[in-house]
Amino acid sequence: MDEYVIVTENINKIYGKGDIQVNALENVNINIKKGEYIAIIGPSGSGKSTFMNLLGCLDKPTSGKLFIDNTDVSKLNESELAKIRREKIGFIFQKYNLLPTLSALENVALAMSFAGVSVKERYERAEKLLDMVGLSKRVTHKPSELSGGEQQRVAIARALANKPSIILADEPTGNVDTKGGWKIMDILEEINKQGETVIIVTHDPDVAKRAKWVIRIQDGVVSAHVAR
Amino acid sequence: MWLDNFKIAFKNIKERKSRVFLTFLGIAIGIMAIVALMAIGEGMQEAVVGELSSLSDTVIVTTADVTAGPMGGGISGANTNYFSQRDIDDIGRIGGIESIDPILFGYVLMDFNDEIQYVSVLGMNPGRMSEIFGIEFLGLESGEFIKEGDQNRCVIGYNVAHEYFDSDIHVGSKIILNDKNFYVNGIYKKQGAGFSTETDDYVHMTERDFEKLTGDKNISGIFIRVENVGDAEFIAAEIEYAIDENHGEEGYANAITMSSLLESVQEIIGIIQIVLIGIAAIALVVASIGIMNTMLTSVMERTHEIGIMKAIGARNTDVMSIFLMEGLIISLIGGVAGIIFGLIGANSLGSASTSEFMGPGMSLEPVVTISSIIMSLSIAIFVGILSSLYPARKAAKMSPIEAVRYE
Repeated sequence: MDEYVIVTENINKIYGKGDIQVNALENVNINIKKGEYIAIIGPSGSGKSTFMNLLGCLDKPTSGKLFIDNTDVSKLNESELAKIRREKIGFIFQKYNLLPTLSALENVALAMSFAGVSVKERYERAEKLLDMVGLSKRVTHKPSELSGGEQQRVAIARALANKPSIILADEPTGNVDTKGGWKIMDILEEINKQGETVIIVTHDPDVAKRAKWVIRIQDGVVSAHVAR
Repeated sequence: MWLDNFKIAFKNIKERKSRVFLTFLGIAIGIMAIVALMAIGEGMQEAVVGELSSLSDTVIVTTADVTAGPMGGGISGANTNYFSQRDIDDIGRIGGIESIDPILFGYVLMDFNDEIQYVSVLGMNPGRMSEIFGIEFLGLESGEFIKEGDQNRCVIGYNVAHEYFDSDIHVGSKIILNDKNFYVNGIYKKQGAGFSTETDDYVHMTERDFEKLTGDKNISGIFIRVENVGDAEFIAAEIEYAIDENHGEEGYANAITMSSLLESVQEIIGIIQIVLIGIAAIALVVASIGIMNTMLTSVMERTHEIGIMKAIGARNTDVMSIFLMEGLIISLIGGVAGIIFGLIGANSLGSASTSEFMGPGMSLEPVVTISSIIMSLSIAIFVGILSSLYPARKAAKMSPIEAVRYE
């Protein structure tokens, strides 16, 4: 089991109660090895975002087990989940979700501050990461002064800040122009080549094409799990 | 960690300066009220107590059917009981007494420029007059006290000089008391409606002139100085006992010491201070509601950001501390500003109240103590934390997934 970074056992996620109950995910069993590059695809409302939120420890499954780096997170409390998010997971959102009051550098450093990294170390690392995503000249800019693509690259740098086991990207190119989108995909691919597990949720076939594995979710059920 | 949260909180505040400014103004006004009112209360305490303390070796004896003010001259009312020479002699035999000054009291008709008014007259040993009424905050507005051997001379109160008659009476003016000519030797300063109104409406003269004028030698009060302040209470009790014995009536004499008076005055001032602080506390409660309101709005506005922070690993305590810090910064800046405003306010309010209520003779210097500043600042911090506790908890408890979805 050591080779797997994510193991799910019969995960169900049910929203609501009684008659208005919605099964967002049904009996999901997926194992993801370290260093994989995976695309999760499916139409909107299929449950792929729900799955993503479970993997990102933003939400808990209604039943079943979810192991992240061999820890069953389905039983953890809120502060333990926060620790997993801090240490194991790097989140990249469709809408970047940077803090508007902080500069690019501070946004990247903030994630490390929650993890207790020393001030000196976190700013050095933040600069390195921003350099890696090609923003070394924009470190002092606030999100409002950056283009969509640039903001998403800051978000990637932030996701990498605490050296997570998994990078989760939810429609990372969804709000970025085509050229910016390819640049983001290049960076994610590069990160994967360095050994990072990358999971992308997308409905864009061009994005999905670049992944090594594609998981298709439809109506809360994993309908295909194919290697490309 | 705390420093990081502080920085974030500070940036959040900078983002919405104008709204924060209003909140901050609320807390500043609250703290200002506390500082200013405490300073005035403290000043009042010092002014009154300081003046009364200088008289703490004094015992005033009156007959029980007469009321006496703290300055001994406040003898009024239709008294029918008087002290006898034997009473004075008996008091003289009590040990530890420095001086005994009988005070005679009566009413006469006063004629000035053909206008006639009733006035109260006190007769006393002229050599002692300046001792009793010459102290700094009583004292004369113009002229001099009467000397031993002076005849047909008097010292009159401020109101007698300036209010009773159409035209002002000056030093050297001639007045007619019960058809006898008198000359005004001195005029007392205005005492105002404070605790020492005893000179404003009186005419003071020698015992001999008093007797000539009224035909009486009615001793209504006795003004006694003791050698040792510590013995005052004991001596007062002895005096009461001796006089009651002479007249065969318990409670005939009423001997008041300044220290007992001081205690009751301090009690009254204590109550005034509590009322003043109570008023300030209301202002502060309103201010704290203001902080809570601002913080709740801030939490709501930042729901999405709270979600982001939680998604990237912020603990509930991190989120909570950021919002607590925000409240704390607002209240702390407000508190410091409030203290500065309070100092300014206390001074201007102090000088205004001095001339308005206390009369020119009295001065009310607001006293700002270090402890009152520390207390105000602590209150500001306390209020800041208390009123942002609920909003901060609310922020901390947010579900990250719902918060991050919130737009």
